[in-house]
Amino acid sequence: MTTVPQTHLERRYAALGLLLIAPTVLVFCVVIVYPLISAVYLSLFSIFTPTLQGEWVGLSNYQALLSTGEFWTSLGNNVIWTVGTLVLQIVFGVAMALVLHENLWFRALARSLILFPYFVSTVVAVLVWKWLFNDLYGILNHLMIVAGLIEFPLDHLGSMPNAMISVIIVGAWKYFPFVVIAVLARLQTIPEQLYEAARIDGAGPFARFWDITLPQLREVLVVIVLLRAIWDFKEFDLIFLLTGGGPIIGTQTLPLLVYKEAFALNRMGMAAAYAVVMMALMLAFMLIYIRQTRRRES
Amino acid sequence: MAEVVLSRVRRDFGAVTAVHDLNLAIAEGEFVSLLGPSGCGKTTTLRMLAGLEFPTGGEIRIGGRVVNDVPPAKRDIAMVFQSYALYPHLSVADNIAYPLKKRGVPRAERRPKVERTAELLQLTPLLDRKPRQLSGGQQQRVALGRALVRDPKVFLLDEPLSNLDAKLRIHMRAELVELHQRLGRTMVYVTHDQLEAMTMSDRIAIIDQGRLQQFAPPQEVYHAPANRFVAGFIGTPGMNLIEGTLSQEGGAWCFTAPGLRIAVGQLTDDAQAGPATLGLRPEDVTVGAGPVSGIVRVVEQSGHENIIIVEIAGNERLTLRIPASILPRTGDTVALAPDATHAHVFAAGEAGQRLNTATARPRPQTL
Repeated sequence: MTTVPQTHLERRYAALGLLLIAPTVLVFCVVIVYPLISAVYLSLFSIFTPTLQGEWVGLSNYQALLSTGEFWTSLGNNVIWTVGTLVLQIVFGVAMALVLHENLWFRALARSLILFPYFVSTVVAVLVWKWLFNDLYGILNHLMIVAGLIEFPLDHLGSMPNAMISVIIVGAWKYFPFVVIAVLARLQTIPEQLYEAARIDGAGPFARFWDITLPQLREVLVVIVLLRAIWDFKEFDLIFLLTGGGPIIGTQTLPLLVYKEAFALNRMGMAAAYAVVMMALMLAFMLIYIRQTRRRES
Repeated sequence: MAEVVLSRVRRDFGAVTAVHDLNLAIAEGEFVSLLGPSGCGKTTTLRMLAGLEFPTGGEIRIGGRVVNDVPPAKRDIAMVFQSYALYPHLSVADNIAYPLKKRGVPRAERRPKVERTAELLQLTPLLDRKPRQLSGGQQQRVALGRALVRDPKVFLLDEPLSNLDAKLRIHMRAELVELHQRLGRTMVYVTHDQLEAMTMSDRIAIIDQGRLQQFAPPQEVYHAPANRFVAGFIGTPGMNLIEGTLSQEGGAWCFTAPGLRIAVGQLTDDAQAGPATLGLRPEDVTVGAGPVSGIVRVVEQSGHENIIIVEIAGNERLTLRIPASILPRTGDTVALAPDATHAHVFAAGEAGQRLNTATARPRPQTL
């Protein structure tokens, strides 16, 4: 490689560039790099949370973690929750986007209303859903009994698999508007003439969706799935507020386990080890996402 | 039989009427252009033929069958869009095969048909490529291929050449004409480019503001425009249209305008003395000798000919086409001789109808 000699002006521009990105790099280091290294470091200690005192244990936290059933149960729950809620978000999100893409008279109003679950605070949303799910006075049980679906009230949040199903449904309700917005934006850019050409070529409504809409949505769906998978995988507040991980550990996912280890069991080192494992798992999603965006850019 | 007949076809968009009671009878195997300025209703008409738009009134027949309520796929038509509308995720081969696939043609039968079409359009080396890897001209040929592959009765083409550069456009124009001759299928071609319409069509339907102005072969449209709109729309440079007065003197008709007096013949029964418009093609005025005097204002040399703008009587400007061997200078006073036998007379006003019959031009020589 040959080096091109820099002129004085070029060197000054380069220095200016460094100066301009320096604040961002600094903030990035403080809020991301430091905690990251710190978490890995902490995971090598056995630490009592209230005092933050502890001793070096090396990799034994990781050894312990991999041999506990609770870790594997939580990981399993995490996968069930992520896949379940993501599938519902995608199905309802795409369906709703297709409806809102049509020329309906209430389209403008519906497009605004659909965002409501996404904007409402998780605490408020969970309070409302807890009230709906309540086994004593919840409207859901009332409606199900009236409709003849059940004879006795169901315990939606206190028994399995009801609790997991409920959490998945609330998660889907809360986050599907994100899918709607992203898909709707893409739908609006698909040229109408593609559909007209397909109509002339003999494609019915289903074939048009399958042969034109879906391939055109493919790229945006990949991005949505990856982003939402990352976000859902680390979801904490919604599950914590709705079931607290219960019944027992029926809906306990890894983020809830990290919280429990750190603040209920006061084992900060162990919690850090769980967090690092979680991070490694999410790194896989991240790498796919980065590869996907790079491919799109090229 | 694949003639296309539109009877009193009308299309309203709310309070706006895009197409007014259009009557057109296109013969089997004919190449017809729908020509007109932007927003004249030509594309709406084509879309009604395709079944993408439904007429508010009237009747459309394709091959003798009324198709008003027939969906596009069942009309046995194919359409080439201005944007080509190729399926971006499918290869060239799959794009061409798509209409066959949707009609349930088995894979084994699709392949040879696609290959034959690709060969016809010189697309064989590109069959595995995606549309985005093709040039404009190649994409255009794929769009044609997708239309050709299932051998429809009627081809509908919506400004298919308008996205190509000038050189490629001329090349594709010739290819389309050749293709039409080879296939012998009915083709309806929408364009706003009069040169395309003139050079490719058997007949041209000139449309303005949703109304048919003239439906005739290109030569007739050029030499005997039915009204003032057609006269002004067809031809580059455009026909000189001079406002003046038509009068009858001793049985002979005469057109008078400031600085110009010309005897006109072969007037129809509709002709009346009074205000009228005279039309003179730029090539129908001889420069050098004659009764009209004018001052040269602009001279444009295009190599094989010169275009000059001459001002007569202080305000009327005539655009004239003269041989390259004659080159007046700006400011020169020149004598002009309008060719009275090829003058066109129209009733006064923007929509003035033709008032004289055209003098027959010598038939073009065949070799």
